[in-house]
Amino acid sequence: MQHSPPPESEVTMQRDATAMMPGVLKRYVVLFVVFALGITLVGFLRGINEPSPLQKTPIEPSLISSDVPEAVTYSELPNARLQPNSRWSSNLTNLRFAKPGPFEPVIRTDEMKQLALADRTRNRAYDSAPPVIPHAIHQPQVSNCLACHAEGLNVGDRVATKVSHPHYSNCTQCHVEENRSESALIKHFLSDNDFEGTKRAGPGTRAWPGAPPTIPHTTWMRQDCTSCHGLVARAGIRTTHPWLTNCTQCHAPSAALDQVDFLKGQP
Amino acid sequence: MTNELSRRDFVRTSAMAAATALALEQNATAKQPPRMELPVIADVTWNKAPCRFCGTGCHVQVAVKDNRVVAIAGDRQAEVNKGLLCVKGYHVGSILYGKDRLTTPMLRKNGKMEPISWEEAIDTIAQRVMKAPNRFAFYGSGQWTVPEGYAANKFMKGGLSSNQIEPNARLCMASAVTGYISTYGVDEPYNCYDDLDHADVVILWGNNPAEMHPVLFSRIIDRRLRGDKVILVDISQRRTRTSEQANHVMTMKPNGDLAIANCIAQQLIANKTYNAEFVSKYCNFRADAEPARYDTLKSWDEYKTFGTLMGKPITFEQYQQMVAPYTPEKASEMSGLSVDELKLLGKLFGNPQLKIVSLWCMGMNQHTMGTAINNLVHGIHLLSGHFGRPGDGPQSLTGQPSACGTVREVGTLCHALPGDLKVDDDAQRAKAEHLWNLPAGRINPKIGYHTVLMWEKFCTPSDKGGDIDTIWVQVTNPGQSLPNINKLFRGKKGLENKFLIVSDVYPTATTELADLILPSALWVEKNGVFGNSERRTHQWFKMVSPPGQARDDCWQTIAVAHRLLELGHPGMKDKDGKFIFHVTDVKGEPVEIWKWENYYGKVNVDEKLYTEYRQFTKIKHKDVAPYAELVKARGLRWPVIQKPNGDWQETRYRFIEGYDSYVEKGKGIQFYHSVTKDDKALIWFRPYLAPPEVPDKDYPLWLDTGRVLEHWHTGTMTMRIPQLRRAMPGSYVEVSREDAGQLGIKTGDQVRLETRRGTLTLPAWIDGRGKCPPGHLFIPFFDEKLMCNLLTLEAHCPFSKQPDYKKCAVRMVKANQSTPTSGG
Repeated sequence: MQHSPPPESEVTMQRDATAMMPGVLKRYVVLFVVFALGITLVGFLRGINEPSPLQKTPIEPSLISSDVPEAVTYSELPNARLQPNSRWSSNLTNLRFAKPGPFEPVIRTDEMKQLALADRTRNRAYDSAPPVIPHAIHQPQVSNCLACHAEGLNVGDRVATKVSHPHYSNCTQCHVEENRSESALIKHFLSDNDFEGTKRAGPGTRAWPGAPPTIPHTTWMRQDCTSCHGLVARAGIRTTHPWLTNCTQCHAPSAALDQVDFLKGQP
Repeated sequence: MTNELSRRDFVRTSAMAAATALALEQNATAKQPPRMELPVIADVTWNKAPCRFCGTGCHVQVAVKDNRVVAIAGDRQAEVNKGLLCVKGYHVGSILYGKDRLTTPMLRKNGKMEPISWEEAIDTIAQRVMKAPNRFAFYGSGQWTVPEGYAANKFMKGGLSSNQIEPNARLCMASAVTGYISTYGVDEPYNCYDDLDHADVVILWGNNPAEMHPVLFSRIIDRRLRGDKVILVDISQRRTRTSEQANHVMTMKPNGDLAIANCIAQQLIANKTYNAEFVSKYCNFRADAEPARYDTLKSWDEYKTFGTLMGKPITFEQYQQMVAPYTPEKASEMSGLSVDELKLLGKLFGNPQLKIVSLWCMGMNQHTMGTAINNLVHGIHLLSGHFGRPGDGPQSLTGQPSACGTVREVGTLCHALPGDLKVDDDAQRAKAEHLWNLPAGRINPKIGYHTVLMWEKFCTPSDKGGDIDTIWVQVTNPGQSLPNINKLFRGKKGLENKFLIVSDVYPTATTELADLILPSALWVEKNGVFGNSERRTHQWFKMVSPPGQARDDCWQTIAVAHRLLELGHPGMKDKDGKFIFHVTDVKGEPVEIWKWENYYGKVNVDEKLYTEYRQFTKIKHKDVAPYAELVKARGLRWPVIQKPNGDWQETRYRFIEGYDSYVEKGKGIQFYHSVTKDDKALIWFRPYLAPPEVPDKDYPLWLDTGRVLEHWHTGTMTMRIPQLRRAMPGSYVEVSREDAGQLGIKTGDQVRLETRRGTLTLPAWIDGRGKCPPGHLFIPFFDEKLMCNLLTLEAHCPFSKQPDYKKCAVRMVKANQSTPTSGG
């Protein structure tokens, strides 16, 4: 048999099926494709807005203000416990505007001070230990730390404190992520040591009412006073006079605490 | 639709929020800080006083309860500090209550100090003076109140016909004085601290105001918070706390400032950015010699042979020729600054839009070319026209509360009389004799010994030319603050015929060698008047009693004068036979103020002396305010002029029309005490020269000395304040990382420093409060147990006679090691 090529008309049919359709039909196909894509898009958008089908009961916004919820990855999304924080709609830009002005009056009560100090103590093994990181970190690069900690941010009543010391490029050398899991293992670790850290050395002494208190702690690694006492700081230990920027002009440090007391207490 | 709308709304709202926030922030920056309130303390009386420490002249409010100072607060009404103080000021009340206050007069008998009565003490001094008035000297300070200094000056020059009176301010701001006099023809800044609120650029010439004048420093940097841009340029031998806030830190070699200033002038001329109109209207040019003389000039010692305070007139062309060699490249070698840094300075001064303030204190004054560098910095401001506008001009600062008020204005110097008069000028002496109602010829025309020479003579045996046998020291501590104290102070030890009288409040390095100690009243235990760095005279009243038998320094002087009168010294009477400190009460009845029980109560002696002194201040247009006006004010800046309506008006800017009422209409700027008598200031050329002692192979490092924030001067007051002592309990030597590494020194290691003059063992601090460059060491001078002045050099500026504490050659070894070379 002689091998013959397919008839011309067949080839044309295969290659140019639409071309064979009438013009009206062609328009319907375009519309159909657009419609299908539209449905898909709407479905997707609705889908990502819906609560996960696995979570039947909506999470109560039981907002523990001191708990910043952990960020989750996309793969964890379906199973994640999603909850709002107090600044659900905040973004970095808005948060920056949340910084109070230097001349706004500072309200500070003893109760606020105690709260702030307790909060500070919670993150440290002992006074002047590097604080642990009270949130999850997935990007330990310095730039990620500095996104919030370079200037400091208020997140509701939580504070991302400004770095108190010159910038080093290896944050996680000293600051480690605190594992807040309540697993038996972690609980075991926590109860496995009787270490009792030094408590805050303060308050500083005042020569008389109205005199500036002395600095009750070391200034080593705490060169930037505004980290704890500046505009963005725990409300209870903020300075009452943020418009004065030369702190050591009035507040005297301690040579002994700074380890430069060469006389070793000799009179 | 709704979604779209809400999104658009959201965008709009957040934009508005952002704008509002921005607006709020701008509003906030426009706002002034809230005023600080006085603390509420029951049953106390608040009263005003200037702070006892530095020359800034902050006012404090002093709380008194049961005859004791119980609290201090910043004075909100004070323009200088606006309610703020520094850590020393906040604790100034504690200076009265150190446990070892001196409370009894004590005389050395058989080598031991024994309590004596005031009568015996006063008589002892008078007898010694009576025996040899020409061999007696008075040594005071810029901590003397105006009436105290005035009484001492009148006692010496008008009473004893002796010019052997000097203040420690010779060691502190004498170069600023000679700088002002040889530039403008009259001493003291024309401008004031208001400049700090307006300057765009602040250039710090060897100045660390973050620690030395903290209130002025924060007045500059707090402006940044209000949105002002202030460029701080820190030209210094080492990094300090000031450097931390500076935009440009330029680390210079010792004496590099001379090259830097000349290089700025060179650039202003080469780039044609000098202010030709200002220069032709208001300036003349001056130098020590013809241009060619400088081509062969080799050393500072050679310069001293031809340099003079007032120099010779030169032309602009000659001036141009003299600064021409100071190209940025050449000046970079001399100063250690980079060419770019020098060009930046040239550009700043060449920009007429900027307002530039130069500030300096000890860095430029404690300098063997002190007068020269003062002249040069004034010169670049005049040449560039950065002069006369608020925020645009050169201003020197002082370290003591009344260096200006008591030393410069009252003239407690070996060549001066009150009111800027000179002892070696016949007409000016006659003027003083007239105002003092003294017979003609009473005042001695021969200039006395300047500080270094006075102490050298005192420490030289009487039979070997040491013709000063008795020195009375008030309100200062030369045993610690003089340079080269082995030679200039401790040399007294064991010398017969030498007698040291010390009036002080605490035992000090000086009282250790004293033969007679007089316990003094301190600060608010007496009335007082001080004058600060910006021509501000301020007054306070006695608020508490001095402890034990302590009495006013001024009373001590008057009591000795009166005892001399009783002993028959003719100088203690005026032309009419009255006591030179004759004082009457409101009824015109004489008051025996030399009796302590009459010193307070019947009459205000301070007011009497001040009012007498005030006549002198009108001579050179430095009219201080009447006492009653000072009582009302937180200090007033002279000249204080009475307006037609009777009000008294202070002057913020001298020589400037619109501010200074002594300037003739239409003159714009009038230097009415001009050296050249044509209302023009002088732009000086002075050469760069290396310091007289530079590091060599035996003494390979530079030694620099100074202060720290917490302590003031020799620490006699601040070391007795627990809060300050806790912060800075002892001295140390600041060592660079490089030098420490090379010598195997760690922080806290004991090191021994050796210079050609002395040895000192003290702990090393790597970097420390400041940071020295390699090859440079720094020691603060507050610690009486570790006195850096055992090491320092007494070489001084040939014109101002002010020694250089900022640079000499030193070697350093670990304390347990022997000296590597035996040296020269």
